[in-house]
Amino acid sequence: MTSDESWIARAKHRGPRTLADGSAFMLAVNVAAFAAFAIALPDFRSPANLATVLVSSLPLLLLATGQTFVLVSAGIDLSSPALVGLVSVCGGLVMSADVGWLANHPAAVPVGLLAMLATGTAAGAANGFCVARLQMPPFMVTLTTAMFAGGLAVWLVHAVAQTETLFNLPEVFLALGRHGWVDGPLAVGAAFVAHVILARSLVGRWLHALGYNARAAYLSGVPTSRVIVCAYALSGLFAALAAVLLTARLETASPSHGRPLLLDVIGAAVIGGTSLAGGRGSVLWTAWGVLFLAMLGNGLTLLNLSDFVITIIKGLVILTAALLDQWRRHWRTTSASVADTVIA
Amino acid sequence: MTRDPSPIVLRLLNLTPVLLLGVVLLLFGLQSNRFLSGEHLSGLLAQAAPLLVVATGMTFVLLTGGVDLSVGAVMFVGAALAGRLALDGHSLAFCAAVMLGVGLAGGLVNALLVTRLRLVAFVATLATLYIGRGLGRWISETRALNLPDDFNALASTTWLHVPVPVWIAGTITVAAQAVLSGTPFGRRLYAVGADREAARKAGFDTGRLLAAVYVICGGCAGLGGVLALAQLGAVSPRFGELYEFDAITAAVLGGTSLFGGRGRVLPGTVVGAVLLKTIFSGLVMAHANPYAYALITSAIIFVAVLLDSLRHRVLRGLARRVIRLEPAGQRDA
Repeated sequence: MTSDESWIARAKHRGPRTLADGSAFMLAVNVAAFAAFAIALPDFRSPANLATVLVSSLPLLLLATGQTFVLVSAGIDLSSPALVGLVSVCGGLVMSADVGWLANHPAAVPVGLLAMLATGTAAGAANGFCVARLQMPPFMVTLTTAMFAGGLAVWLVHAVAQTETLFNLPEVFLALGRHGWVDGPLAVGAAFVAHVILARSLVGRWLHALGYNARAAYLSGVPTSRVIVCAYALSGLFAALAAVLLTARLETASPSHGRPLLLDVIGAAVIGGTSLAGGRGSVLWTAWGVLFLAMLGNGLTLLNLSDFVITIIKGLVILTAALLDQWRRHWRTTSASVADTVIA
Repeated sequence: MTRDPSPIVLRLLNLTPVLLLGVVLLLFGLQSNRFLSGEHLSGLLAQAAPLLVVATGMTFVLLTGGVDLSVGAVMFVGAALAGRLALDGHSLAFCAAVMLGVGLAGGLVNALLVTRLRLVAFVATLATLYIGRGLGRWISETRALNLPDDFNALASTTWLHVPVPVWIAGTITVAAQAVLSGTPFGRRLYAVGADREAARKAGFDTGRLLAAVYVICGGCAGLGGVLALAQLGAVSPRFGELYEFDAITAAVLGGTSLFGGRGRVLPGTVVGAVLLKTIFSGLVMAHANPYAYALITSAIIFVAVLLDSLRHRVLRGLARRVIRLEPAGQRDA
């Protein structure tokens, strides 16, 4: 493992971090956006509004965090927003006081939470199995899973409750989503753990190696199949966490939770600088991307811009982010050694 | 590779999309004897016409290893603009031309982003998807636009007992396949998709080839939008939403690879698009539980993609032998 050690040593001996570094760059972009909105809009800088921005971005943060694992492995998970709906319905079917399997039972909340997390993780692992073992293209696998999960959620709700949504969830569960005191630290903590896994752990390095060059990773002994399954399962788990948050906050279990987030999830990761080609990405960058999108959405709404203008601006932002990423990488390859670029 | 004497398994795997369509048609035909009547089948094709056209354009992009996520949004912009113009009293032909123009312009924007600014196709077209949906909602003022009746007439007119949209879609798909397999341009697309760097070194203008592909895809999206609009008769704020996924699914069901270099419009994409619409129409006719549509459709797509990946592995195994037997220069012929 000598090459591995020199690899790390070189990474540690990189010079002072420059704007070319993903995280510092995104920090600067976020500070600039914050300053611009805060100066232009007195409403934006009120503590209540800032809290709203942070709290409302949490589900997106969780989904985009899970997505980052998959993107780094050179895959894509289009199913996570649809899994949110399925997981939410599963939770409702266990916990709801109207039709729930454990309605008004003291064990409803722990069993419900467990069922939710297990559903998400299992669906994610199924995606991973199809990609790794059956060698199906991730795009099609997760697109099919999205369709299936969405359909299953709607079908389950109608078969059991003959309604669109499930109400009357236990009070203890709903407390998770009140005021952001519980769900905030929970989501940020989960994202932090994810960051450590991806940036510092062996699995994280395997994921990077796999995304950068799958064949080379396989030949150098990375258990590629298991690592891929792990990435998709983590994406499913984070989708389940997002579902817990959304279900508790909106006080209903519904198949449509999370569905509008699909484009923002990929957008946030791309804005943060995670490469869709794999091998390059970080949960921290993604978090900056999520924060930026949240500030942008909130600020533009406060400017009284209509929905369609915000959509157009989001598109332009994604374009700009992709262009800047292109230039940044170009700059880095010309200013630093090739080996340095490989590590970054 | 196909010139080699190949085992029956390989032949069967190569015919997977067609066989799957046959099985699905047979199953639904057993359910109801009206299903296989000429009238219903021509109706089925008419329903599939917009998807056929859009998926044909998508096949060109997928062949080069790219993807165009913006087709649904481009359809929406064109339809919103055409809707406004039609309500202002402009003629049907003018509106259709505008939609086609919007499609070509959208494709050109994607082409510039991918070739000039060298953006990854997925990201570039994701951005134009956002921009297009915003523009479309701005033009339509987020309202549903109900079009004059003569727009619907396009969908219901028949020529030689076949609906006009089917003629249009048929012409486009046949022409597309002719271009792909009969012209140097078409064969260069396969080369670019299989290995862009090698194609560049072989002297192909890869930038221009890629640009052409996105413009073609945009134009097909515009034309598909015209057909879809004629079918629906109204522009809703969700017009064309997620159409890109349907188009990609149709192409992939027909055996086109998402990694480029492999795929055909005829029979491939055509079979894929018709298969998708057949499943939907058959479920409606069999009075299946509407909530089960998505489950059954996704299960069939899953099987098709699974069989395709199996075929890909078998083909790759055979290709390895073929490379050793043949001189390297003949491989792409």
